[in-house]
Amino acid sequence: MKKLLFTTLLLIGAASAQKATTVRLGYFPNVTHAAALVGLEKGYFQKELGNVKLSAKEFVAGTALNEAFAAGEIDIGFIGPGPAINGAVRGLPVQIIAGASNAGAVLVARKGTGIKSYKDLAGKKVAVPTLGNTQDISLRHILKEEGLTGKVTIQPLAPADVAAAFAAKQLDAALVPEPWGAVLENRGGTLVGNEKTVWRNGDYPTTLVIVNTKFAQENPELVKAFLRGHIKAVNFIKSNGPAAQASISRELLKLTKEKVDPRVLQRALKRTEITTSFNLDALKEYADLNKEAGFIRTLPDWNTLINPSYLNEVK
Amino acid sequence: MQRTLAPKAKRTTPLWVWQILGVLFLLGLWYLLTSVLKLWPPYVMPTPQLVWEELRYGFVPSENPNDGQLIHAVTGSLRRVLLGYAIAVGLGVVLGVILSANRTLRDTVGTWFTAIQSIPSIAFVPLAILWFGLNERAVLFVVILEGTLPITLAISSALLNVNPAVVTAGKNLGAKGLKLYTHVLIPAAVPNLITGLRTAWSFSWRALIGAELLTSNPGLGQVLETGRNISNMALVITTILMVGVVGGIFDQVLRRFENSTRTRYGLEVRQ
Repeated sequence: MKKLLFTTLLLIGAASAQKATTVRLGYFPNVTHAAALVGLEKGYFQKELGNVKLSAKEFVAGTALNEAFAAGEIDIGFIGPGPAINGAVRGLPVQIIAGASNAGAVLVARKGTGIKSYKDLAGKKVAVPTLGNTQDISLRHILKEEGLTGKVTIQPLAPADVAAAFAAKQLDAALVPEPWGAVLENRGGTLVGNEKTVWRNGDYPTTLVIVNTKFAQENPELVKAFLRGHIKAVNFIKSNGPAAQASISRELLKLTKEKVDPRVLQRALKRTEITTSFNLDALKEYADLNKEAGFIRTLPDWNTLINPSYLNEVK
Repeated sequence: MQRTLAPKAKRTTPLWVWQILGVLFLLGLWYLLTSVLKLWPPYVMPTPQLVWEELRYGFVPSENPNDGQLIHAVTGSLRRVLLGYAIAVGLGVVLGVILSANRTLRDTVGTWFTAIQSIPSIAFVPLAILWFGLNERAVLFVVILEGTLPITLAISSALLNVNPAVVTAGKNLGAKGLKLYTHVLIPAAVPNLITGLRTAWSFSWRALIGAELLTSNPGLGQVLETGRNISNMALVITTILMVGVVGGIFDQVLRRFENSTRTRYGLEVRQ
């Protein structure tokens, strides 16, 4: 009995006190991850976390971020719904705790292909960042709607390499997250599908905030502190157009060593809705499409995958 | 089976029984560590059951668009590697003969061949994509490159090492020029050629999988990449097993061919 009481006390102690001394964040250098970029550049996350150190790591695709999650190297991540769902279905201990951006993905065709509408994609080669990722699923949805399923070659290719593949005429079109869409357009690509026509009139999540379930259970205060920083970053972007743009630009320059054309950035931001919420129906439809494409066989348990309680407490 | 050497201690159970026992032991260990002891979560190290399921999905088509994908992947990869390998063998024989016949070429180009052979094939993939595009030709280029070099080197050294007595005998019997090659030198070089063929096969097969991973042509390499992209480690392990099995079967066939040829040439004593 005494032993039992002792263990119970220990457990309570563990639940109330924070265990972590570092919060490890994963994100991509994309405009659709603008909240992460601004949160880091303005120091919002660190300010809210206080003495707990924030260590941020950039990834190029959800695949690599999922791997880091599986290996226990990341606690909180900005990621697309595609990989978030795929990971959860395989048993990755993740929970979706907030939204980060909606829309912000466009379909651009290479100049000279004559592609003007989705119908013209028949028989063409279209790139998406990786198979099974968010843009891949959106593309499959478009093809299904247009009756083009199986008539288009889907080519996984890193968005940064699309421009080179266009120049070498090895690709006809690409469905990419911003700023890559604006970059391709700036280099002469034709916008075939904008952020609204790609899916659900633009009301679909592109980036979500996920957390390692175990980390969240052990460090609820840190998760809430992080989300306070996230809300601040989102609000800053929403209300300070040019200043937010400058902040994103500085962070992108630091990460990619490339100065993004301000016009490109402005256009990319206009097409992306930075937010802390997300449309649950759209997320569920993503999972259905993922299953239809054969990437998952079971749907995730939404009650455990989505946990809005942290966000609700700090809002 | 004739025994010419001192008899070994007699094995009572045939070799294949031991081989099957070995596989069963590994399966049992895998099952114990992942399913019983649960040392790792399935998204890090999947259980044998999960891999078996993927294997079944991979070979039994259904309404799920990805079911049956391993059949297409294996046939796609095999078609590609056999085409590349055949071209490599043809090129390798020609290059090897030319190289053996010309000392200057051997001293200049020949040394590069050995150097190029030490470069992993995957290093050529980015260049191949630029030269040929994101398509099958880029993959074939890498496969041919990897397959040609070992055959070229095997043939040229085999031809240079043909017993001078055989060459003199052939010449005395009236063989010269091209005839000396087709009737004397090449037949004498056959055992080494076959060893070269086997090396070239494993080089080509490995080059193929690596190139498919990077260029995403439908094949085993791409299934591996898809498995990674959708966080399906069971699919990754299933594909690795398929790569090993297909590569191993071909290697075994070539090894038997090699052994029988070497025996026929009196280079190996049959036991």
